Amino acid sequence: MADLEVRNVTVVHRKTVAIKNASLGASESEIVGFIGADGAGKSSLMHAIAGVRRFEGEISFDGVVFGSPKEAEKLKPSIGLMPQGIGLVLYKNLTVSEHLSFFSKIRNLKENSTLDAYRHRLLKMAGLERFTERQAGKLSGGMMQKLSLICTLIHRPKLLILDEPTTGVDPLSRRELWEILEEIRENEGTIILMSTAYMQEAEKMDRVYLFDSGSIIASGTADELKKTVKKYVYSPVPCESKRCICTDRYTYSLDSLKAQHKKPTLEALFFVNALRRNVEIPPIKVSIRESTEPIAPVVMEAKGLTKRFGSFVANDHIDMELRSAEILGLLGANGAGKTTFIKMLLGLYPIDEGELTLFGKPIKSAKDRRSLKTRIGYVSQRFSLYKDMTVRENLLYFANMHNIDTQKASRRMERYAHELGFESYMDSFPKELPLGINQRFSIAAALLHEPVVLFLDEPTSGVDAIARSQFWQMLRLLKKRWGIAILITTHYMSEAEYCDRIVLLKEGKKIVDDKVENLHKKHPKAENFEDIFLHYYERNNEF
Amino acid sequence: MRVFLALVTKELIGFLRSWGLVAVVLYSFTLDIYITGKGIEMQAKNIAIGYVDETGGGMSKKILSRLHAPEFQKPVPFMSTKELSKSIYDREIMVGLIFESDFEKNLEKRDRASVDILLDSIAATQSFQALQYLQNILFDYSKTDFPVELKIHKLFNQNANTSEFMAMAEMLSVITLLGVVLTAVVFVREKENGTWDIMLLMPIDPRLIILAKSFSQVLVIMGGVTIATGIVLFGVFDITINGSIAAFFLLSFFYAFTSAGIGLFVAAVSKNMLQVAQLSILIMMPLIFLSGAWTPIHAMHPLLQDLSLLSPLRYYIEGSESIFFRGTGFFDLWNYFAGVIILGSVLYFYGFRKIGRLF
Repeated sequence: MADLEVRNVTVVHRKTVAIKNASLGASESEIVGFIGADGAGKSSLMHAIAGVRRFEGEISFDGVVFGSPKEAEKLKPSIGLMPQGIGLVLYKNLTVSEHLSFFSKIRNLKENSTLDAYRHRLLKMAGLERFTERQAGKLSGGMMQKLSLICTLIHRPKLLILDEPTTGVDPLSRRELWEILEEIRENEGTIILMSTAYMQEAEKMDRVYLFDSGSIIASGTADELKKTVKKYVYSPVPCESKRCICTDRYTYSLDSLKAQHKKPTLEALFFVNALRRNVEIPPIKVSIRESTEPIAPVVMEAKGLTKRFGSFVANDHIDMELRSAEILGLLGANGAGKTTFIKMLLGLYPIDEGELTLFGKPIKSAKDRRSLKTRIGYVSQRFSLYKDMTVRENLLYFANMHNIDTQKASRRMERYAHELGFESYMDSFPKELPLGINQRFSIAAALLHEPVVLFLDEPTSGVDAIARSQFWQMLRLLKKRWGIAILITTHYMSEAEYCDRIVLLKEGKKIVDDKVENLHKKHPKAENFEDIFLHYYERNNEF
Repeated sequence: MRVFLALVTKELIGFLRSWGLVAVVLYSFTLDIYITGKGIEMQAKNIAIGYVDETGGGMSKKILSRLHAPEFQKPVPFMSTKELSKSIYDREIMVGLIFESDFEKNLEKRDRASVDILLDSIAATQSFQALQYLQNILFDYSKTDFPVELKIHKLFNQNANTSEFMAMAEMLSVITLLGVVLTAVVFVREKENGTWDIMLLMPIDPRLIILAKSFSQVLVIMGGVTIATGIVLFGVFDITINGSIAAFFLLSFFYAFTSAGIGLFVAAVSKNMLQVAQLSILIMMPLIFLSGAWTPIHAMHPLLQDLSLLSPLRYYIEGSESIFFRGTGFFDLWNYFAGVIILGSVLYFYGFRKIGRLF
């Protein structure tokens, strides 16, 4: 009987307290979830439990009590840790089977038929048995995560610690990862600790711990947790007091409102917690654009766009139209060709085949694009801007690049900073900003020249629930008040609901292009968009 | 122009805020040059010398008394040849003299005698220079009938001081290396940080971006050159410049663009900083070795001599030496300027085209 007990663990990272006085417990075959914003202390606690980081307090596992990484050494053979980040534990140039034999060797496992059989079973569970000779660097993101997971499982750990294994992974691969986890805990009795950014996953766990600014603030099953905030959750009504937040689906209020109560989700916990801690969540505002230039109804038109990398077809004859005052969600599994498509639209990759028309102008060469660049805004994955310049310097730099009059630029900068709520961070460096603020500041930089179309490549990965809801509020306001077109890629299927229209890519081909409400009508049984996504993805048919 | 200035300012801010890079540049332009100038000593200096004297004094003492500082340490007596050999083997002694017991007798009787010299010739230059000193001393005591006397005039570097030359050559090599690395870094940093795409999407002529970015690093290099010449060359080594300092700076400016051109090429083919470092060293080494910085060109293999004509550093070094030591007039430097400018234009243009293709 392997039990895990964590008692009053504190992890200090360079004088800042990462997690304070955390206590938790887990027993055999349990899946325990950590949820909370980035920097709330989830990873630090995981590293302490895995015995790879110094901590204060006491942890006992499998009858062994340890208070330092050194004492945890003898437990290492029964612990498996998979750190955050896709493919972080993999070696790009090694093949799948080389990985498995490498991890068996460093774990000092005896080569025999049992190990061989186990390895086969793992490969089969991960659906990688056809790819044993493929190099890890050439796998898709979802496959990499599955390979990382089975490499972590090779020594049959009794305690499996997974740090956001599903972040940035598409729904299909995510479900497959979960299937592996379910099977492992069933057959091996493994305790699984995992952090996740997806609330649907948290719902499936045996117990969930909610992290906020370095401490555990609540724990229980998803249903228990939801019950605790039930009375603060209402249908959307405008707020009047500071003890209330309004998003477009819910209103959260500590004081009782006259509005109707609504069934809470786990996200509600974050909002209610923020309200309780008196965290100021400034409402997002967007005033109308200064430019009076009219926006063409069709901003972008692609016909048969194709991109090949060698023999691999990343985008296969994709037709798409982007209209003004529309939010278009581009969805698809890892490696389905979303980023490639955006890069082709932007001219970062040359177009191999097909026709592209931007703002009514056919694009033949890079020269055709130059004058159009002033009308395009782009935020890349990771939204990193220049990290050795402050927020203000970054914005000024972009204003200069677009030749915006200095007076006008600084006026605009102040306005955006105020409306998007990063006023107090103007003289900080990007890395000092919370992820959510950083995200809005990156968008402000892309909006400085008042573009007509905005391309956003996975802008919400790793951002917490509140910042995400503010982000979508901003996008909808931009659409409404500016009337611009927005193309966005995301892995959060719950976000697909906020889009006007959805385009679904699979293996470089477009398989769905429809309005969100039409899709819901077509699939009345689907509870959420994830179901619809999986429905299309699983059909191995005519597409 | 405003865009150009904004780009240059951004790169300079970026440079000044990365402390590691600033430290490397400051170190290279000051301490590194100082250490090379002081440290690489080709002259015999402070050499440990030992002797075995079986003659009982007289002539041998006279000879030994002439071995003194700064060339030699105080000679150490040994009891036997064996002990002396052991000491040389243990690297305590570099040069050993053995006066055998019949030395004095032979000198008196036959006017001929021999001294055995043991030499640790691992540090070849130093030990052979020591040997030359010894020969000169012994020469004084030998009676010869050879009637020619040598009158030597040392030109340009009157003290025949190697440190001035070494410091100078090192500075020129540093300019080359940093010119390449810094220029490559400003581009590759954008690739690494994921800002490359954002840079490409600016509504600006890519040529302007490349020009502004490389120009900003030329400015950094020129700042370094000013520090190095002012503090290290003039200050510490007290080098006197016989030609025009303005000509030197102008030549350096053109040369900085040359190495920036190589940097552009490196940036075009590298994905990360590690590759920049590897590639820069790979390209720099032949360039520096062929330039005559460490080996005089006339001492190279004829084929290498021809190849060295293609090294822009060769013209830069010869030009700079002419300015500092020979005091060549501005207009007589035209061939060095031509060499640097022509090769520089070719390299810069090539690098420019190469990286331009990524835009």
